[in-house]
Parts: sequence; C-alpha cells; structure tokens
Amino acid sequence: MVNALRDRYAIVGIGETEFSRNSGRTTRALGVEAIRNAMRDAGLTPADVDGMLSYHGNDSTDSPTIAGDLGIRLNFYMDCSGGGSSTEALIGLAIGAIEAGMCRTVAVFRAMNGYTQARIGGTGRQAPVYTGGSIPQAIYGMTSAAQSFAPAFMRHMYEHGTTSEQVAHVKVAHSKHASNNPKAFYKERVTVDDVLSSRWITKPLHLLDCCVETDNGTAVIVTSIERARDLKQHPIHIMGVAGRTTKRKGNYHWSYAPISLHAGQYGGPIVFANAGVGPEDIDITGSYDAFTFTTLFQLEAYGFCKVGEGGEYVSSGIIELGGARPNNPSGGHLCEVYSHGMNMVIENVRQLRGLVDDYCPSWQQGEHTYDYSERGCRQVRDPEITMNLGWASPATGSALILRK
Amino acid sequence: MAEYLGVRVHVPENDPTMLAYLQHAGTHRLTLQRCRDCGLLQYPPGTACEHCTCLDFDWAPVSGKGTIYSYEIVTHPIHPAYRDRVPYPIVLVELDEQRAVPAPDYALRVIATLVDAEGRPEHEERVAIGARVEVAFADLGDGLALPLFRLSDEPPEHALWRYPG
Repeated sequence: MVNALRDRYAIVGIGETEFSRNSGRTTRALGVEAIRNAMRDAGLTPADVDGMLSYHGNDSTDSPTIAGDLGIRLNFYMDCSGGGSSTEALIGLAIGAIEAGMCRTVAVFRAMNGYTQARIGGTGRQAPVYTGGSIPQAIYGMTSAAQSFAPAFMRHMYEHGTTSEQVAHVKVAHSKHASNNPKAFYKERVTVDDVLSSRWITKPLHLLDCCVETDNGTAVIVTSIERARDLKQHPIHIMGVAGRTTKRKGNYHWSYAPISLHAGQYGGPIVFANAGVGPEDIDITGSYDAFTFTTLFQLEAYGFCKVGEGGEYVSSGIIELGGARPNNPSGGHLCEVYSHGMNMVIENVRQLRGLVDDYCPSWQQGEHTYDYSERGCRQVRDPEITMNLGWASPATGSALILRK
Repeated sequence: MAEYLGVRVHVPENDPTMLAYLQHAGTHRLTLQRCRDCGLLQYPPGTACEHCTCLDFDWAPVSGKGTIYSYEIVTHPIHPAYRDRVPYPIVLVELDEQRAVPAPDYALRVIATLVDAEGRPEHEERVAIGARVEVAFADLGDGLALPLFRLSDEPPEHALWRYPG
C-alpha cells in the first residue's frame, strides 16, 4: 500500500461462528454463517457485498459456493492457498481489488473444521509415500508445525538465553484474557508451572506451549471509508498492511541465518512506513500465537523489543491486560480459537470499537468495568491504534495496523 | 521398491534432481549440487542456483562433517512411520564446507535425524549444539540411500549447549 491509501479503507463488519471441536457442519455452513454475521454486524445486505477472498489448505469451501448460498453475486473473488498470515495479506488484497475498480465491498473469510476434519497438528493427513518434496525435511519425521518450528526456538534459547519459563508467560497471559471471553474455547487460567509440567510434544515445546485446534468460521468485511461512514458500526481504519514477507529460502526456514529471527524483520519497515507510525504508537498487539514462542519471535522482529530481549518482554507483564501493551486480549490461538489468524484481527476491531464482548453487564453499550479479574472485563482502556503480527512460519509473516 | 521405515519412497521421473541426490547418497558419499557458473554448492537441492539463477549443476561430494546448529527431541510422533521411534532427535547440521559463503548468514544447513551406530535414534543426553557429527546412510533399496547424521569422535566446535532440563 502506498501512503495515499492510508485510512482510505476500513473494516466495517466482523463475524464468527461458535468455536468448537464438534461443529457437526460443513465448512460451507461455517463460512456462510460467519459472513452472514459479519454482514449483519456491518448493516450490509447481500446486494452490498460483491467481492470475496478466502484462504485454505484444501480444507475449505470456495467463494462461489458460499456466495451462492447467501444470494451474493460476485464481481471479484479469489480462494488462495494459505494458512497463518493470510488474514492481513488478504485485507491488503481486498483494498487492491477495490482500488482497481473490480468490486466495491469484500468479505474475507476462513472456514475450517480444524479439529474434526483437517487437523492442523498433522494427524490424519500423512502421505502414504515419501516423494521428492519430502526428502529435505518430512522424511526425517519433521512434519507438523511444532516439529518444523522447534529448532528455531531452540536456537533462540542458545543464542539469547531465553527460557521455557519466560515464554510460558505468554500462555499464562492469554489464559487470563480468555477467562474474560465467553466464547473462548479454553477459559481456565493456567500458571507457569502448569505449562512447564505439561507433557512434551517436541522438546523444547510442551503441550501447553501449543495452541488449541478447533472448528470454526470467521469473516471480516472491507470497504472504502466513504461507504463505511454510512454503515452501522464505527469504521475501523486500515492504516497499513504488509504481507506476506519472507526470508530467503522461505520454504526451508532453517536454512538461512539467523534462524531465530522472524520474517517480520522485513514486514516491519513496510507496514510502519505505510501506516506512518512506529511500534511505540501501538496500544494493542495481536500476535499469531500458534505456539507461545511465536509471540516472542514476532514482537522482536517488529521492533517491540530488541532482538534477544523477547523473553524479558513477554514475562514482564507488558503483554497482559492492564499492562503497557496487551497482546491478544481475546486469548488468541492458545486459548480462544484456532482460526488461522482471523480471530486476532476481529478482536482488535472489537477493542477499537470499545465493544468487546466480555462479562461486563453493559458491554453492548460500551460500558466496561476495566476490572480484569477472572470472569470480568477484557476491554483495553481507550485504545487508538492496534497491530496484528501474522505468522505462517519463522520465514513468512504479515502485519496490519488499524486505528479507531 | 525403495522404502524408509516401512513407507514407500517414490521420487517421480520428472524430479531428476531429487532422485540424483538420493542416488549419489546410495554410494555413501554426501553429494550436493554445485553450480556450473558460480561454482557454489547448495542445499536443499533446487531447480536453479540460488546465488546466480544458473540452471546447470554438477554433483560434488562433500566431507559429510559438520556441527549441530540446533535440534529438537520429538516425543509426540505425527507420521505413523515414527510411532515406534520416539523419542528421536532431529538435528540441524551446519556442514564444514562453504560456511558464511557468500555472506555471513549463509551456510549449508541440513535437517536430519541423529542416529547411533546401530541406526537407532541417538539418546537425548548426547545431543547438543556445538557437537561434531558425520554423515551416515540409511539404504532405501533401488540403489538409493538417505543421509542421516551420527556423533563423531572429534572434539566439539565450542562449549556444548543442551536444553536445560
């Protein structure tokens, strides 16, 4: 995005389904409900939406099918291959499609039965034969995301003295946030000891260092600021996007050093220049917490702390509600839902609206207690600017800066 | 038929680069692509030289020696082939050749499992960053072999570092 487009587009609607491990529905039904909810949130009818973007790993339903169910006639759609860090990038592409005159209003969605069908952790989708593409990595028993990313975190511990205890604080913080989120899949607060005493998945990652797997549909709707002003919600301005930036040899993130530094090192200068702000201006971060340590990698790469000091940053209280810059107030992927990045964008929109759906009795009127104790509030006080820090792997990321 | 851990290994004819890599390993020499233009080695095998885009390569044997750059100990298997192998160490090895060439962040880094003399997964307490390793081979059949690594007798490159606990 060039600077001329800063604040010219907005997120006007957000929608999601229930977050579960037994949707009992097709991804088609999940996508339809999420987009329908986003349209109702925005005050849009099917005739108002003429663009659609989605991402998938051959585990979803295409846009024409979902648009057809909703009575939407499309002027533009693309169903892109991708997982984490697609959300931010597709919001950027939605702006591009509208700016090019191809369409006027775009629904971006992700629909996945991430627990009951295509499990993200990798079970149930194993190749019965090792082909050429499996030789550099998969044939060695390195197939799941945890197995693929673990050496990057191990190297970070070696280079910087980062500890498991430090990154366990990410799970602790996000579990506190999720305890104030009625729709979160895991609402129970956990301790550092809970994380460290959970079983190993692949050392240095414990079970509670890894995110939840769930079934869900999620959607956001993007349109120009002129159209946004006539809609139901206060428009949330899109200040800047970067996506999907990669490291060299991005298909083999471990091949190019430093393997402990995320691709956000390249996305940061792009997104901050587009948005005209810096890390110090961000009130809330939304990290892609597929694992505890991925939050640390992103915060370092985008400059919220120095490289190597992420362990101190995430264990200092800064990232908790009530801290200087809360991260993932919804509970994120570790506790709320695994949506391939959408739920952290949706949460930041809610935060900027001042309409977080927590346990405060009058949250729908924007009245919050700011009491962050269990089963309480999770609205950050008067946030102005938020940032999402997408992640597909240590070698690929996206970023999105929003303002009120 | 080539197989590894009971799983068929089939590299189709339209992927001659990867097939050649396994065929060279079949002679029990770790052999990498070397660009015919700029002369640099590369790994993993690719379809163009990552340094100069040249499409033509020779195959060059390397020493098979290197240092553990990072690792993990897998305890929860995902692929069925590894169900009976846990816990197993995956190591990221930096080969001795072409380190920090053509620039500081480059090296020939190889992912593989670390095995003992019998080809079983190496014990966790023997795995460490800084440890010296040498290539070993698992024969797959059909003249193909898969490079693995085992600990060598050489002293460590630097003070050994293990995950604490």
